[in-house]
Amino acid sequence: MNGSASRRPTGIDRRPGSLGGEGRFGVVIRPPVYRLRDGTFVCSRLLGVDRNSVAALPGRIEVVIEGNFVGVVATSLQAAREAARRLHLEWQPLTATGDSPPRGRALEAESSRHSGNTVETAAPQGRYLTRHYGWPSRMRWGDEPGWVVADHAHDRLDVWGPTATPTLLKRDLMALTGLPQETIDLHCTAQASGIGRHCGDDAAADATLMSRAVGRPVAVWLDASYVRDVESLGQAQRIAVSAELNAQGAIERYRNRQELAGSDTPVVALWLSGVLDTQRHDDGATSEPVSPPFSPYTFRDQRLAAPGVSREVHGDDGVLELQHGFARESFLDEVARTSGQDPVALRLRHLDDRRGVELIESVTRRAGWVWPTKANEEGLSADVNRGRGFAYAQLPDRHGRIDEGVRSAWIADIEVNRITGDVSLTRLVVGQDSGPLVDTAQLQEILQQRVLGVARPLLAREPSFDEWGENGGGESQSKLTAETRDVARAPCSTPMKGSDGEQVSALSPLDEADLSPGVAVIANALFDATGVRFRQPPFTAPRVRQALQGECGTSGSEATAGRRLSRWRWRWLAGAAVATAGAAAMLWPWKSPIAPVARPAANLYSAETIERGRLVAEAGDCAVCHTGQGGIDNAGGRAFDTPFGTLYSTNITPDEATGIGNWSYAAFERAMRHGISRDGRHLYPAFPYTAFAKTSDADMQALYAYLMAQPAVSAEPPANELSFPFNMRALMAGWNALYHDAAPFRPDPSRSDLYNRGAYLAEGLGHCSACHSPRNVLGAEQGGERYLAGALVEGWEAPPLNALSRSPIPWSEEALYRYLRGGESELHGVASGPMAPVVAGLGELPESDVRAIAHYVAAQMDASVNDTDDARSQAQQLVARSAASTSGMEAGERLFDGACASCHVDTGLPSFTQAKVSLALNTNLYSERPDNVIQSILGGVHATNVSGIGEMPGFADSFSDSQVTTLVEYLRARFAPGEPAWSGVAERVSQIRKDDNKTHG
Amino acid sequence: MTRTLTLTVNRQSHRIAVAPETTLLHVLRNDLALNGPKYGCGLGECGACTVLVDGLAARACVLPVAAVVGHEVTTLEGLATAEGLDPVQVAFIEEQAAQCGYCLNGMIMSVRALLNHDPHPSKQAIRAALEHNLCRCGTHVEILKAAYRAAGHDDEGECV
Ligand code: FES
Ligand code: FES
Repeated sequence: MNGSASRRPTGIDRRPGSLGGEGRFGVVIRPPVYRLRDGTFVCSRLLGVDRNSVAALPGRIEVVIEGNFVGVVATSLQAAREAARRLHLEWQPLTATGDSPPRGRALEAESSRHSGNTVETAAPQGRYLTRHYGWPSRMRWGDEPGWVVADHAHDRLDVWGPTATPTLLKRDLMALTGLPQETIDLHCTAQASGIGRHCGDDAAADATLMSRAVGRPVAVWLDASYVRDVESLGQAQRIAVSAELNAQGAIERYRNRQELAGSDTPVVALWLSGVLDTQRHDDGATSEPVSPPFSPYTFRDQRLAAPGVSREVHGDDGVLELQHGFARESFLDEVARTSGQDPVALRLRHLDDRRGVELIESVTRRAGWVWPTKANEEGLSADVNRGRGFAYAQLPDRHGRIDEGVRSAWIADIEVNRITGDVSLTRLVVGQDSGPLVDTAQLQEILQQRVLGVARPLLAREPSFDEWGENGGGESQSKLTAETRDVARAPCSTPMKGSDGEQVSALSPLDEADLSPGVAVIANALFDATGVRFRQPPFTAPRVRQALQGECGTSGSEATAGRRLSRWRWRWLAGAAVATAGAAAMLWPWKSPIAPVARPAANLYSAETIERGRLVAEAGDCAVCHTGQGGIDNAGGRAFDTPFGTLYSTNITPDEATGIGNWSYAAFERAMRHGISRDGRHLYPAFPYTAFAKTSDADMQALYAYLMAQPAVSAEPPANELSFPFNMRALMAGWNALYHDAAPFRPDPSRSDLYNRGAYLAEGLGHCSACHSPRNVLGAEQGGERYLAGALVEGWEAPPLNALSRSPIPWSEEALYRYLRGGESELHGVASGPMAPVVAGLGELPESDVRAIAHYVAAQMDASVNDTDDARSQAQQLVARSAASTSGMEAGERLFDGACASCHVDTGLPSFTQAKVSLALNTNLYSERPDNVIQSILGGVHATNVSGIGEMPGFADSFSDSQVTTLVEYLRARFAPGEPAWSGVAERVSQIRKDDNKTHG
Repeated sequence: MTRTLTLTVNRQSHRIAVAPETTLLHVLRNDLALNGPKYGCGLGECGACTVLVDGLAARACVLPVAAVVGHEVTTLEGLATAEGLDPVQVAFIEEQAAQCGYCLNGMIMSVRALLNHDPHPSKQAIRAALEHNLCRCGTHVEILKAAYRAAGHDDEGECV
């Protein structure tokens, strides 16, 4: 039992409160390519729309086209999605000049210290350092998807939804609709804080365009699909900072150049609909020079420059201050660390402000800051690093008076899981000097709220093809316990006795800008923990993971890098080094052994990593194959009959003598990706390394961690019994050269995240095709049209999962999901045979992952999203048609009535043991071969793996072969009367019985 | 592999250590000494083992015990209350509807399940509901009479 049946799909078709009865649901279709880089927007051009492609769909479907903006509006979200999927659009591919590869990964490039725009040279007097810091145009909107509703009617517009930048959103909606400001009302859900614009604004504009076109309120579901906008809009800000250090390590010259406008990247709908000039948006006409950003430090020679930017654009969200604070505080940290100085001391050295100095001293005392930082590694697993960072900010008050302004010093302690990429903020000490007459308790409360508001989008999860949903890894945000302190209420130099207006401003001193150290402090702590510098937020798990992995495999590091990595890296690199040396020395096809290692200690890895590994193992169904009949989990010995002989699965428990206990990670990874055992022998492709090769590095490491943490079992599987020449393992090298692609999975950027996640799971770990694709004479899976075209496995037929599916009622994505989640689909049947343990394994995965697999498989079948009414009535007809037998096969009928009817015929007696799916809908009876029907009759269907799918006894002991044959032929004739009778049933029955006797002893 | 499961049988909760795939029938008879349900075919064909699960008929010989965790199981022993026998039992006694009696558990429990669902089923519905309960002694006429009586069809005599 896994309780999975009780997990319900999220009720996203619930009507959002603001929509009312008249409301419609909208889905947008973005062009195949669109991107904004340095103010220039390019996108594929819409050439034509075939409205007929959705004409046949039920319900009212409206297609909204404005320039290159395409939306589909329907009466339910499901209907709109279905129509969006079917709508046929013709796009003009981008021309050669505009078609340079999208720089979507530019975000990542900024995160790593390998980014090319980093210059470090020796200057005559000392050292010269330049760094670039970036800021994305869009943040994600938060942790949960949600509704965004727009109602554009009677020359006014109402919008409900989340936004962090209401002024900017209003400006964009005015431009989009031409409505004056007073007629637009934003009913925005409260946002604790924002660190920039997020996709809620894009969704609001989408809803507005669609609502205007259909004349009704339109709701848009803001979910992970909007991440494409995040990628396409690229960077909003780039700030170059450089400094020259003198021989004493003090900063002599300091330069700060802001290269882009900032946070005002307009919503996607504005670009697509053609309202904005798609060529240039930040031309100088609307700009005016702006005062350079404030910096609290004094350097001998300092120049701060900002381009001409319309001030009112970012005036209300303070993001520009955040961006500059991030760049400056990250840069000072880099300077300090490259020159071997205490980052706090470096700042104090250049700070003239007495209150600031006092605040910093107080905060460092409170947090116990020492240099070099010595993170407490007690109780820390090898895959987790701790780190500590510092950042400071000071801003003038709203009247531009520096003395009255706010000072804020932050020290953050974090833990980074190097494998999952999760960053937990374990402790935060924030000191704020907010001037005189501040209510400390209130300040503390507000700070706490705001701090969480900043940290959440920075560290939130982000969809990625190898992200393990809500059950995987650690929940960074839930662990966030901010210890917020109003440390130093510095003595008031000017006691507050002014007017009321003054008082008010003093009592609400919390501009967004007070939070500006919040971003840099995490980046600095991340560097302290990992040696990798993140020069652009956010620091979400996939980005952290990616950056760490890039760093891990590369040699030649900065002087400061890798200080705390030594222990961890040493373990991995030791194994890797041996592999490389061995590989260089060997001749094809012999693979060298990888030296055995001592079994890693059970507590080497953190619980989070092991949990992630457990999910990976479940997705990969390791235990299904690596557990013998009635044997101990993962101890091997299960027999596989292949056309070439019998193979036995191996022991993958960490036993050193008989299992994989002395495998280093390098050996494990080589086996998983290349099918080569630790001792250099080739593994047979019954072990689906061809699929496992697609596993991402993080998942591979987590899987290793998980397997090594399991109890060791000493068990030697039987020797394989293969016929010549297949017993020559070395031949597999040639096989691999022909058929194996060891490259890890690469997501298809033109498909959704859901699709890519599903593809990653299904093609890789889930290895669906290992069973569901036919193999050629050499045992290699066939691709192309034969991909997922069905095959025979262990005497069962793995039915086709592509367009060749024989199911009498077409599968829908929803039905696939319910089948994979609950083991049963009321229109198709139950999971049995080798599929039952697969479903049981999937039961361990988060709902989102099972949905992703269903989505991917549905795409292979070209299936609809939901079961259509047509499908349901067709099913009813099939059931009704089979109510009485018309075949006149009397012997079969008698057998059926005696043995099957009590459960498989609805007599009107309400029964708990009634078969839930009518045989008239059972895909197996419509198949080209009788194998699964015969298997089910002989062996029954057992719910051991999946609770709630019902249980059927096997009739092997009570029916003779000829009785089974009679029954099978009868079933085919009665329940699939349109299909030709199977031939050779008797032979298959006796063969399957023989094979079953062999495997079951 | 044994697990400790909590079962609710006849309004009583039992904790038993058992392999989860063991059939409910074996657990009822061997562990809980409830011998009302009979072992006939063991393949779900005859109905002798019928019990109620949440008031629905269930063939206990094909049901893994783990499948009824969290459900209410009622056996023949649990039909009677402090006020007396279940009306279905009374009807079977009044009609003396038994020969050897091996099938009776299944007949009574199935009629109970039917009446839970529809207190006044037609005679035809009763016959359909009992279609897959086998009686080796040929007591069908008496059994149907008893079932009709329990369902409130007072006219005795013709029953087919
Ligand atoms: S013993 Fe259960 S149906 Fe026959
Ligand atoms: S009375 Fe004997 S089996 Fe029915």
